[in-house]
Amino acid sequence: QRFRFCGDLDCPDWVLAEISTLAKISSVKLKLICAQVLRDLLGEAIEYDKILKLTSDAKLESGDVKATIAVLSFILSSAAKHNVDSESLSSELQQLGLPKAEHASGLCRSYEEKQSPLQDRLRACSLRLSQLGSVRWRVDYTLSSSELQEVNEPVVHLTFNVRDRERDKMTAVPVTLSANKFWVLLAGEAPGGVAAGTSW
Amino acid sequence: MLLVLSAEHRAHLGCLPRAGGAAVGELGRLALEQLRRGAAPRACETAARKLNIGVDTIQHGVEGLVYLLTESSKLMISEVDFHDSIHVLGFSDELNKSLLQLYLDNRKEIRSILGELAPRLPSYHSLEWRLDVQLASRSLRQQIKPAVTMKLHLNQNEDQTAQVLQTDPATLLHLIQQLEQALGEMKMNHCRRIVRNMK
Repeated sequence: QRFRFCGDLDCPDWVLAEISTLAKISSVKLKLICAQVLRDLLGEAIEYDKILKLTSDAKLESGDVKATIAVLSFILSSAAKHNVDSESLSSELQQLGLPKAEHASGLCRSYEEKQSPLQDRLRACSLRLSQLGSVRWRVDYTLSSSELQEVNEPVVHLTFNVRDRERDKMTAVPVTLSANKFWVLLAGEAPGGVAAGTSW
Repeated sequence: MLLVLSAEHRAHLGCLPRAGGAAVGELGRLALEQLRRGAAPRACETAARKLNIGVDTIQHGVEGLVYLLTESSKLMISEVDFHDSIHVLGFSDELNKSLLQLYLDNRKEIRSILGELAPRLPSYHSLEWRLDVQLASRSLRQQIKPAVTMKLHLNQNEDQTAQVLQTDPATLLHLIQQLEQALGEMKMNHCRRIVRNMK
């Protein structure tokens, strides 16, 4: 049976198995645990002690607590990934066996509140190889050099600051261009209409 | 299968009968800690002071025990063989029995530690992917060119490396087909026969 929140695929077996664990927790506590899991998905620190306190009533073992967090993480992020609205999510969770009255509706209400920020965060985390941070420039005017006594040419210095996503470091890439080359970069053709790509 | 203990090894273990019963327990504990966490010279010094024996003797004794335990666990020798191997050291029966007990109690744990020491190839950690469509470039406008960009995260001995790969959908389908053929090989008779024999 296909579920929208699983991307129109079958629901994974482990999720099915853990739904019954979720039903053991009272709905009020489930909503609070959801709030913590959403904090983790949005990039803030998760408060594991609070979750342990909330699950202590249901007498869950440590393996079950981790499984609860994992299954809530999966449901919320997968629903956001496939842009599932809160109503459909609620009906699909009920099909999986989560009791409607409190659990499914509470979970979906928490999801609905945070759906937009969650999708923004997932968009920001998508694979991105490198990112342009900023560009700095300077124009110099060369008066003379060891090769030629009167040069009188403008020269453009550019520094591209590139951010490496993985290592969270900024690398500077310096480039120096003559005035004509800079025109080619900017306008795609040299002043005077010479086609781009001709070398100087 | 009998263990052959070198003369140096025998000399190191020779300090055990002199140390007495309680000391053997202490040295055994130090040997196991050394296997789990690496050498601890401080702990050896404390033990030396407590038992009133030289630090060097304690060190040699611990190392001798470590080697004895790792070799026995590596070869998974039986009780009888272990007993016969240490018999050559000429220890008392009581000492032999405590050494045997030390070996049997910790054999499984030592084997799992030894298992982790084997060299490892980089292993899969995670895969990020992205589907893009190129619509235009400087040279050509109005194109439709799909491409899948992947970042393969690999783990090698706690070192994380990442490899960026890019392919078009047709090549990706071919890659998936090749991998599925490789998995399908497991179901062939040849593989099944070998797997059955290994179990």
